[in-house]
Amino acid sequence: MNNARGPDDETLGEMLARRGFGRRSLLKFAIAMTSSLALPPLVAPAMAANLAKARRRSVIWLSFQECTGCLETLLRSSTPTISALIFDFISLDYQEALMASAGSAATRTLHEAIATNKGEYLLAIDGSVPVADGGVYSMTGGQSNHAMLVDIAANAKAILAIGTCAAYGGIPKAHPNPTGAVGVEDVITDKPIVNIPGCPPIPDVLSGVLVHFIAFGKLPELDDRKRPLAYFGTTIHDQCYRRPFYDQGKFAKSFDDEGARLGWCLFELGCKGPITHNACASLKWNGGTSFPIESGHGCLGCSEPDFWDKGGFYTSLAGGSGTGWRPAAVAAGIGVVGGSIAALTARNRARPDTPPASVPAAAALPPPAGTSP
Amino acid sequence: MNLLEFARGPGLQAASLIMIAGIFWRVCGIFMLRRRPQRAQARHPLSARLAGGAALIATRFIPRRAFWTRIGTSVVLSTAFHIGLMLILFGGAPHILLIHQITGISWPDLPKGIVVLASGITLASLLALLLRRIRHPVMRLLSTTDDYLSWAMVFLPVLTGVLLSGETVADYGTLLALHILSVELMMIWLPFGKLMHGALVFAGRGAMGINFTRKGAAT
Amino acid sequence: MNDQPPKLGTVPSKEQVGRAMRGFMTDFGPTAALAMESCVHCGRCAEACQFYVQTSDPRYTPIHKIQPFRQAYNREAGPFAFIYRLFGFAPSVTATELEGWQDLIYDSCNMCGRCSLICPMGIDIADLIEQARHGMFEAGLAPSDYLGTLAEKEHATGSPFGLTVPQFQQALHDIGRQHGVVMHVDEAKADIVPTISSIDLKTYPGSMAAIAKILNHMGASWTFRTDGFDADNVSLTAGDRVGQAAITRGIVDAAIACRATTLLMPECGHSFTEMRWEAANVYGKDLPFRVMQITELLAEGLADGRIRVNKVTQSATYHDACQVSRRGGATAAPRASLQALGVDLHEMEDSGDSNWCCGGGGGVALINRAKSLRAKAFEIKQHQIEATGAPTVYTSCSGCRQTLDHGGKATAWTKSVGSLLELVADNLAVDNPTAAKPKD
Repeated sequence: MNNARGPDDETLGEMLARRGFGRRSLLKFAIAMTSSLALPPLVAPAMAANLAKARRRSVIWLSFQECTGCLETLLRSSTPTISALIFDFISLDYQEALMASAGSAATRTLHEAIATNKGEYLLAIDGSVPVADGGVYSMTGGQSNHAMLVDIAANAKAILAIGTCAAYGGIPKAHPNPTGAVGVEDVITDKPIVNIPGCPPIPDVLSGVLVHFIAFGKLPELDDRKRPLAYFGTTIHDQCYRRPFYDQGKFAKSFDDEGARLGWCLFELGCKGPITHNACASLKWNGGTSFPIESGHGCLGCSEPDFWDKGGFYTSLAGGSGTGWRPAAVAAGIGVVGGSIAALTARNRARPDTPPASVPAAAALPPPAGTSP
Repeated sequence: MNLLEFARGPGLQAASLIMIAGIFWRVCGIFMLRRRPQRAQARHPLSARLAGGAALIATRFIPRRAFWTRIGTSVVLSTAFHIGLMLILFGGAPHILLIHQITGISWPDLPKGIVVLASGITLASLLALLLRRIRHPVMRLLSTTDDYLSWAMVFLPVLTGVLLSGETVADYGTLLALHILSVELMMIWLPFGKLMHGALVFAGRGAMGINFTRKGAAT
Repeated sequence: MNDQPPKLGTVPSKEQVGRAMRGFMTDFGPTAALAMESCVHCGRCAEACQFYVQTSDPRYTPIHKIQPFRQAYNREAGPFAFIYRLFGFAPSVTATELEGWQDLIYDSCNMCGRCSLICPMGIDIADLIEQARHGMFEAGLAPSDYLGTLAEKEHATGSPFGLTVPQFQQALHDIGRQHGVVMHVDEAKADIVPTISSIDLKTYPGSMAAIAKILNHMGASWTFRTDGFDADNVSLTAGDRVGQAAITRGIVDAAIACRATTLLMPECGHSFTEMRWEAANVYGKDLPFRVMQITELLAEGLADGRIRVNKVTQSATYHDACQVSRRGGATAAPRASLQALGVDLHEMEDSGDSNWCCGGGGGVALINRAKSLRAKAFEIKQHQIEATGAPTVYTSCSGCRQTLDHGGKATAWTKSVGSLLELVADNLAVDNPTAAKPKD
């Protein structure tokens, strides 16, 4: 640290040292991250060394059709941790909510950042991309988000689709999807994309991805939905602390009933845990405080595509959307009419001149002798 | 839309509507046929005849002593299968939940272990019944495509259900989708094949009970 | 009637199938439809049928016997008949195939109803066979040697043996004289009108004397009516719907003509079923008289004292006629007589409602080529009876009696076969104050 380097080109190790976090702290952090990323433990020293040497990464953050919840959750860290400091360490060159400048000044900043870090910047997106009607439903500075994405992704090293909206379209995509909202992966197909879904996603997941990227220069292992396998490889159901109750058949039947108060499984109240991949059950939220199920509400499945259109949050997986009474009545009516017509037109009268069982009186037989007819 | 969403959404709707329409069609097609009135003096009044109809629905489950030696195996296997299936359908928590979601009615479920045991017995007896159908000369003569198709339509839901409850063979979403889809297949086939006996058995036994009680005949 | 059934064996093949189908069609009501929609191919009916049990031939599975009937139903009257026709499911049978079904619908079915008792779906298979025979008969496919021939004669003359009214009258008076009983024949008014089966006329004339004896003993007002005499109704078992109705109607009219309050059916199976349960439908409304099988009359008379009997010292077993007991509801009645007589009754295993058919019922006794099948069915009866250890088997059906007699002769067994009616008649207490004095 003898070189006269300014804050802009100091390494991460130098920045941390300046803040009072020495090599040992960094190593401890690396061990924790290695575990979080499900990497082999021997990787930890290499990760620590790489982190120490790392240079600032330029990150351009574009917010599209979003609610800002993803950004808020990432910023809400209660205690300064190394994760939070890494957010400090990345060069967040453009972020509309956070940056001081606005208007054309902000746009100029954006273009400068792109030009300066061409081919090297990370592009972080939150919010879905509306593509209907030429993309008019979300525009910045006269340009549609759709066009911005295509434009700016062209020179990015990799794209982080943060939140379910950016990953899969999220809530704006819910039926009837008037804005034509889609996820980033439906627009950009020629760049590496990491989906970090969740509504919002767990902050630790983003920091894990960033640490991996900063340390090793590449994205962590992804599953077939482009989600980091380390965090999305299991379902809520598989990690849920209430799983024993599920296995024992102890279910809450309604909110705040006795079973609910005893912390029983929420399957019958619509929990989508079994089909939802995320780390909520293990990492939890607010620094490991709790997660929806622990608070007594079933998982909404918010990190899965189309979670809003899966038939209702309180309809359990043992059911689906039924027919409703009116279509059922119509079907029954069709059956009654069809069957009755079939019966009435059934060929069960052979000949009109042969009555089934009644015949003329026994006049055909000769009358008995000695009796009157 | 993935497989599970299809199964829980449009698949379920279509299967339900087809099943409802088909059942009503077949039932009306039978009972709306022209009827010959029975004019002979009954041995017993109407109330007794109706009671006889209801009684036969119950008593036909247990064959007469005279028949036991010859049909004992068939009775044991088919009873095991039906009881197993009823335990699964009406004792299994997710099925009670489904009924509750449709009708609002529910009742306590059976422990999962019992339901799994019942599933095992159901599957085993189904396989034994299939073996019998393939090998016994009478069954071979009588059996049609419907018999084998209906067998598969029942076997698959029970099998996929057992696999789903184990949650190990594939991921939960896939197993659940397969289970629901297999049930939907069964629902679509039900009105048109012999699975309809689930409803017709009550009508047939009831009619025989009423008719035979009218004559005082053996039931 | 402008559409006589064809002479047996004379219908050209093409027409045969059409006639069979038309014959089947009139029976497709909701009961038959429900029955045919319900079969789940469980195979249990085979295990109840004496012909399957004794031969292990799966073709004798009862529900299989009515296959052409069911196929016709699916094509013509089922709920999805239009689909069957559209896609060619359940194709129409050929005439050759129909002829092949003859032995299943006739030779190997007594319409005994054991299959109907075992069926878990509540299908009255025996009834379906009876209905299937309608179509077969109309196609000229009733076995001509000799069930079909008898039915033809009965249709034409009113008697399966072509007997005339004068011959009936003569036979009755002869029997009265021979047995020393007062006979009432063709009287204008009477309370009770007994009927007779043609087997009795030919083979067991004593049973007619027995009826007369008992009715006289009771002091009843009764008469035979030669215009409604022969209850055998071979047409029924042959499948001749029209002939069946004609015979039935003749008996009903005769009973009405003499303002009877009771029509008394003889020791016979199908005649009881027909008059008790079908005659009102033929007549078109409620019958103005009771219909009783002879054992029911005996039971009633013994209960209210109009019939008094002496005790006998013998041990015996009892063979229930399928149509009287299991199908007809008169299982307890014969046992009342046996008890009153003090017979040491050794019931067979599978007695009463579960009884095995003698093998001759439903017209099978009248099919010559079915002799070996009947013999196989008889083996079951033989074992049943011998297992009781009783020396005598009583029955209340001349058809069963004849079948047991013939079967016994063929196997040279040492049992004797008796009529319950004649047993009662032979043991009437002579000091019955109500008994009629012989005239003449």
